Amino acid sequence: MSGGAGAAERTGGGVAGEAPTVGRASRAGGNPTGQERTGQERIGHEPAGRELATAKTGNRPEGGNDPEAADSSGGLDRSLFRYIWRHSKRDQILICAVVLASLPLYFASLDLPRRIVNEAIQGHAFEKGNETAKFLILRLQVPDWFGGERLLFPGFDVDRFELLFGLSSMFLLLVLINGAFKYWINVAKGALGERMLRRLRYQLFSLIMRFSPDALRHTKASEVATIIRDEVEPIGGFIGDAYILPAFLGTQAATAMTFILLQNVWLGLLAAGVVGVQFVVIPRLRRELLRLGRQRQLASRRLAGRVGEVVDGIAAVHSNGAEAWERAEIGHRLGSLFDLRLRIYRRKFMVKFLNNLLAQMTPFLFYCIGGYFALKGQLSIGQLVAVIAAYRDLPPPLKELIDWDQQRLDVQVKYEQVLQQFLPERLLGLDAPGRDESLCGRLAVEGVGVQEPHGPVLTNVSLALPLPSVIGIVSDGGPAASTFARVLARRATPTSGRVTLEDHDLAEWSGAALTRRIAYAGVDPILFPGSLRENIVYGLNRRPPETAETDAKVLAEARRTGNPVEPFPADWTDYAQAGVTDAAALDALVLDWLTRIGMGEEVYRFGLLGQVDPERHADLAARLIEARTAFRERLAAEGHAHLVEPFDPARYNRQATVAENLLFGVPTTTALTGRALAEHPVVRLVLDRTGLADDLVTMGERIAATMLEIFRGLPSGHPLFEQFSFLSADELPEYEAILARRTATEASAERHGTSAFERLRRRWIGLGRYGSADATRLIALPLAYIEPRHRLGLIDDAFRERVVEARGQLRAALDEAGMGGVDFYVPDKVCAAAPLRDNLLFGRINQSVADAVETVTATGTALVQEMQLAPAITRVGLDHQVGPEGRFLSSTQRAVVSLVRALIRRPDLLVLDGALSPLGEARARTVLGLLLERFGRENSLVVVLPNDRVADRFELVLRASGTAIQGPERPRGQAASPGEAGPGAGVAGPAAAVSGHAGGETGPEPARVEQDVKA
Amino acid sequence: MTLETEVQSLRQVPMFREVDPARLKLLAFTSERVHFADGQRFFDRGDAADAAYLILEGEAAVTLDGPQGPIRLALLGANALVGEMGILADQPRSATVTAVTPTTALRIDRRVFLELLSQFPQIAIAVMRELAHRLEMTNQQLAQMRTG
Repeated sequence: MSGGAGAAERTGGGVAGEAPTVGRASRAGGNPTGQERTGQERIGHEPAGRELATAKTGNRPEGGNDPEAADSSGGLDRSLFRYIWRHSKRDQILICAVVLASLPLYFASLDLPRRIVNEAIQGHAFEKGNETAKFLILRLQVPDWFGGERLLFPGFDVDRFELLFGLSSMFLLLVLINGAFKYWINVAKGALGERMLRRLRYQLFSLIMRFSPDALRHTKASEVATIIRDEVEPIGGFIGDAYILPAFLGTQAATAMTFILLQNVWLGLLAAGVVGVQFVVIPRLRRELLRLGRQRQLASRRLAGRVGEVVDGIAAVHSNGAEAWERAEIGHRLGSLFDLRLRIYRRKFMVKFLNNLLAQMTPFLFYCIGGYFALKGQLSIGQLVAVIAAYRDLPPPLKELIDWDQQRLDVQVKYEQVLQQFLPERLLGLDAPGRDESLCGRLAVEGVGVQEPHGPVLTNVSLALPLPSVIGIVSDGGPAASTFARVLARRATPTSGRVTLEDHDLAEWSGAALTRRIAYAGVDPILFPGSLRENIVYGLNRRPPETAETDAKVLAEARRTGNPVEPFPADWTDYAQAGVTDAAALDALVLDWLTRIGMGEEVYRFGLLGQVDPERHADLAARLIEARTAFRERLAAEGHAHLVEPFDPARYNRQATVAENLLFGVPTTTALTGRALAEHPVVRLVLDRTGLADDLVTMGERIAATMLEIFRGLPSGHPLFEQFSFLSADELPEYEAILARRTATEASAERHGTSAFERLRRRWIGLGRYGSADATRLIALPLAYIEPRHRLGLIDDAFRERVVEARGQLRAALDEAGMGGVDFYVPDKVCAAAPLRDNLLFGRINQSVADAVETVTATGTALVQEMQLAPAITRVGLDHQVGPEGRFLSSTQRAVVSLVRALIRRPDLLVLDGALSPLGEARARTVLGLLLERFGRENSLVVVLPNDRVADRFELVLRASGTAIQGPERPRGQAASPGEAGPGAGVAGPAAAVSGHAGGETGPEPARVEQDVKA
Repeated sequence: MTLETEVQSLRQVPMFREVDPARLKLLAFTSERVHFADGQRFFDRGDAADAAYLILEGEAAVTLDGPQGPIRLALLGANALVGEMGILADQPRSATVTAVTPTTALRIDRRVFLELLSQFPQIAIAVMRELAHRLEMTNQQLAQMRTG
């Protein structure tokens, strides 16, 4: 931590406002008064580290390490090739060099077979009666003026067999070497492409973060997601080949071309002409193809956007009965996509046809014209054959080159399309380092106006506010109040005028500093999938951990691709900003706020349903076991022991399902959950071995028959099905058929016996189709059966004993299979997969006793209170998942989460723009009271009010009317004048007592921090 | 005791006498069987009417609180249906019902019951018939009181 402060000092005040904090920190560090000071010292130090972090991010706001990414277009070049070259020239050149280096060896491997045949097998090397020949003569070819050829190694003397084996071994060696080259080149090309793809995707994502509000209004989330996921994918595939392929193939083709030209100029020119036509005409034809391709890309992107929209608004689609309309709309889009595709195909294959035609035309011309020259004696037959042979080598590389060209155009179009979405004018400017001072003093709004597409919302607002203070903005029902609040929160940019603090334009502040110092909670809380805790501390995820334990390889890779090098996943929480030292204290602080705002009870309930990780909550896990026993004793003492049937490894639990009794634990994989259990091979093995399978089939049969009997006649989709039936409506016919097959098979078996021949005969006449699949379907049914609840009279004591027996076998078999998947119930251990409540109860409530649940819950609650488990349980509740967009929470809960998220950051200025309205009037009033107590001393609070019912509780009140904001006025009962206000001077009422040191000091206030932590 | 015995009990209730056995089985299956200890309340006067109860075993007393303690209005035995008027009229409980011996009852959930009524006219007609019958009884009693 002192390292952080030291580093900040070394950076030498690169950021304004850093110096005083550091100074204070070092003063605190030098203070020898011990224990009591350490808290302050830490808190004093942390902001220094934080400032440092801000300074760092200020310099490279993309968070990556790529300076180019910071230019105005975010590091994206207009041309794909320039982009590729800029970021991968080193790799491209390296791979090219390796490709060139591999060529001689490749040619050698082509040449060797000739030598094997000629010299070794046919014996040309031994022609002059030589017994032996030289093998492996190494010569160095140097220009004549340098002494001509020089012999490096005279070679071995070998006989014919040795030469054969020697040359063959060399051939094998070359094959291996070429293979290795190829492998390396492919991997390098692949890695190159993927690296560029990673860089591109990351840059695009960084650019999305910089979208201007105007661009965001026109952006559909699913379309941008499609761009980053799908549209850049082929670009990555192409990048590996972008330079290497044309270089490689081009040389190859040029060699062949030169060869032909050397043989005969006319024929060479002819070939060159045809190639020229191919290269000139075909791209022209392809231009239309490109246009279509562009259209197709846009259309399919819009399709993705549209599908995303429909999914997001599916509730509205259902409630308006617009399914048919939406289907037709999508159908129409698919139709035009098909049409586009078809046109593309027609064109594409037409071009291909032309291409092939031209390629085939040339040999015809060669034979025709070359033959003519040969007959005339201007060309030898040998030359003609050589030319034709050379020309045969020309098409494959040419074809590949043309394919490459096609791909290039395609990818270039895609790249340009992507670029269109990320034009510099759609982006906000980069965050430059600037001031970072506490937002205290005279805040002046000078002629601020906001223009929306449909007209002006604010015009020429000028007023002055002394900060810190608590300010209410009374809305007149129009958007002005909310817009003004958003201007103050920097969520909206004024189109004219400026906002200054102590005569410094707020634009001088660094963006990072302002977002840290200002918090805004609006009407629509934005929640991310994750736990309650993650959502609440989201605003504290600002400090990359300093201990980089990351793999050096991973780091190097990130550097190469301009990606961020900060470790992830890791703890990014800036505890100092919340004024705490560690995660536990932060949790306590979060819970304190949640309780004050009135969500404590709900989080406690989340906790009861949450899971206890014995490693993370070791203490709670141990106490749960203790509580489990205490619970049982307490119930017995109250005479309620019969209300709960405990889990006992040696007994069948009558209140639990058959499946639960069989597994005696909680499944952690879907393969062992619900009906899937019947299909699990290990489970089936045990069921068959213990003979339970037959019992279960019989039970399933009875259940299916009963369900068929009593649910017949209910329309499918009826709520009773879902609530009560073992079968869904559309399964009824299926099970009816299974039952019919089984009855027929059994009847036949009774009559004719069960010999193999009979089984065959039954199958032959179509009866024997009842088989193991049907049995599995039947076994699936009784798995959810609970005798006291369903009362079909299917379970007897013998069955229970067998299940308990099978339970042990199943556990052994699952352990043996080593697949895991079940968290077994063990009386003195916490079952991590089960909800906390079940771990406490460790049994099932006897539902058939009236009011059993209420009685047991009351006992449990009393016990939790007595053992003081509630705080720990509530902490588990913070792990509760909020679902996509927080949909698992109520709108009130979402609003509370959003509010606490803003509060926990202890901003200098908190702006609430309708954030309290989902709480309901009474609760909103309580919460407001709470906030008014807390704010106004060092931190300011701005609240948009729907009416002036509570306006008199604020120090200052602004009123919106039309596009103007009037005020500030001081409501009745508030003293002092708001006009000339030094920092902290406008504080009234009880706040004045503690406002002594509120002045120009920056950073969080230790006294207040401690107060928060204790609370 | 299984679903079958409950169906037998349901058939003893005048309201359900005419109803198809498969439907009664559905009614029984979608209901819960609950045990009440001696003295345990089924419901109190003024509670929301969320279910009707069919007594399968044991006895329950219907009482009203009077100034000198509870006044017993009736004692219900096996196969008696109680609380059905409350769920049909959607009114709070008009009296308190308490088990006087350990009692087993079939708890017919209000929502499920109404669902069945709307789905199967046969049940609805049976209920109407029973209610009309009761109304007529009341009318007769009223006439007797006037004349008597």
